[in-house]
Amino acid sequence: MSTTSLQPTIAHELGAAPDVPWQTVVWDDPVNLMTYVTHVFRTYFGYTAEHAERLMLAVHHDGHAVVATGAREQMELHTHALHDYGLWATIRKAPQ
Amino acid sequence: MTARTLVIPLSVIERVQLVALVEQFADLVSDTADASTDPALRRLAPDAYPDDDDATAEFHDLTRTDLLGRRADDAGTVLRMLRADGPLPDVERLDDAGAMTSAPVTLDPHEADAWLRTLAALRLVLASRLGVDTDPDAAGDDPRLFLYEWLGAMLDALVTAVADD
Repeated sequence: MSTTSLQPTIAHELGAAPDVPWQTVVWDDPVNLMTYVTHVFRTYFGYTAEHAERLMLAVHHDGHAVVATGAREQMELHTHALHDYGLWATIRKAPQ
Repeated sequence: MTARTLVIPLSVIERVQLVALVEQFADLVSDTADASTDPALRRLAPDAYPDDDDATAEFHDLTRTDLLGRRADDAGTVLRMLRADGPLPDVERLDDAGAMTSAPVTLDPHEADAWLRTLAALRLVLASRLGVDTDPDAAGDDPRLFLYEWLGAMLDALVTAVADD
């Protein structure tokens, strides 16, 4: 996502956003099976089969996908759970 | 309404092979001395904040022991189930017919979760050892590549069976 020269000015005027949302990102890896990743998205997040498959394909084709957004603590919870399933998940601040 | 039971078709020799693999895996995740240096164990507890070593270290402190402990617990469940039908034969004394005798494992959906996570984690460890996590051709003619692919087929079949529920 590109930034315009306007954004740093706005950030400076308003100060750091107090509640920057965080994201849980899942990364493509050459080991985990697509069927397994879809299964994890479906059962852990409760997504429909279709949504879970779309998300898995996004990870696969784009190299990574945001699977959740929200408070940092919540993202850590999700990341811990996804690690428990063997997925490669990381946490980052949502790009502004 | 009863929960559907799932079946993992295994021959006797496959049971013996799987027990050997899962035992090794259970030993690996139970000895956490090398948790931060062994690439296979690092893959089981990846860095959560790739650009922040402090945040990653804090996250590891909170989660790594738990993650490896749960891998050991799941592996224990799988081993108990594989051994539940009596002592496994001595491979040396198995003839072809004995080796190929059907010895399937039945599991309920709750037990399936332990199997799925164990098979997935076992594959991650094997891939790390084989080098195929970074280079698909790294394995060459390493005989463990067959095991890696075998576990993949088993995991795929089980995921499909669970999804049909």
